[in-house]
Amino acid sequence: MTPLPSSVPPDDMDLRAAEYALGVGDAAQRQAVEAEARRNPALAARIADWEAHFAGMNGDYAEAPLPDLLPQIEARLFPKAPAAPRREPFWRRSFGLGAGVAAILVAGWLAFIPQKPDLVAALAPQPGQAVAFRAAVTGGEMTVALVSGDGPGEGQDFELWIIRGDAAPVSLGVLPADGERLTLPDPTEGAVLAVSLEPKGGSTTGAPTGPILALGPLTRT
Amino acid sequence: MADDPISDLLMSVAREDRMAFRALYSQAGPKLMGVLIRILKDRSEAEDALQELFTRVWLKARAFDPARGSGLSWLIALARNLAIDRLRARQPLMDDDSALEVVPDAAPRAETRLVARGEARRIGECFDTLEPDRAQAVRGAYLDGLSYQDLADRFAVPLNTMRTWLRRSLLRLRECMET
Repeated sequence: MTPLPSSVPPDDMDLRAAEYALGVGDAAQRQAVEAEARRNPALAARIADWEAHFAGMNGDYAEAPLPDLLPQIEARLFPKAPAAPRREPFWRRSFGLGAGVAAILVAGWLAFIPQKPDLVAALAPQPGQAVAFRAAVTGGEMTVALVSGDGPGEGQDFELWIIRGDAAPVSLGVLPADGERLTLPDPTEGAVLAVSLEPKGGSTTGAPTGPILALGPLTRT
Repeated sequence: MADDPISDLLMSVAREDRMAFRALYSQAGPKLMGVLIRILKDRSEAEDALQELFTRVWLKARAFDPARGSGLSWLIALARNLAIDRLRARQPLMDDDSALEVVPDAAPRAETRLVARGEARRIGECFDTLEPDRAQAVRGAYLDGLSYQDLADRFAVPLNTMRTWLRRSLLRLRECMET
């Protein structure tokens, strides 16, 4: 065994990496280490090293019968567009207008915002998706509108996320069906807004669990 | 990568290959189900977790680095983290303020690449550097997803004693594996 160069990370950080990889911490500790690992690549690398060490025990895990849950998993990851909309897009309902007039509204909807917004975002559909949104931020309030495609199907919700720089997406909540304003406490030009498809009620993990449908950066008007 | 079909499948999944995703599900699924059942101790919860796991696999496959380890190890680490987070969410937080201190990092030192180069000694060879009950604690923590509190209860010692035992054991294991 070649001798280890004297470059072992500090014990406190290394033990936190080991404890995390082992799994012994409580919820608060685990979340703290995860957050730190996102900012600190040295910690992330040591966690990966300890996971590799502990993987030596994986032979002791027995296999178990595998249920066929692929249909449910794929339905969530690759939703098929419904043949007919299950729900009117909320912006149509709130304006109470038919499809023809609604098309004109899409082009000029920003004109209906009482004040000129500080920031806007056009959330363009991701490859293979068909929904698009526009967002407008005035002060700390944001309105988000579905501008093409259909609203979420039965048992699903659209969840809005903000991604600042390299940080993990932060949830801004499930998009309300009636076009209510959402609070956006720290609007930043350049931050990316994204909408994911989630089960009803939104993601329970704190991160998107379903496909990202559309995204776009906040820009000054 | 030579001789690691799961690693190859993961790299295809990273390129959004749905057939590879299905193949990965059947090949790795039984082992991952075994991990989830052992930690969650409830088949129906494990099935729920399996769905969430494979959703994450689809979304995170690009983060898999074949140079760092086998495809199955990466998947098992993902499964364990998911299952343990679920277990911990059910439990009260440890009544121990010092556990929550984020210790500021000393000046960053170069990380060891011994593990990444595959030159570390295997953990199985190092367990006999520990007393039997300490080795049992480490193994139980890993395989069953036991928390510090669970271990303290199991060994009938105070929480802080278990933390000290486990940390010393981890340091001793590291010394065996990495030097």
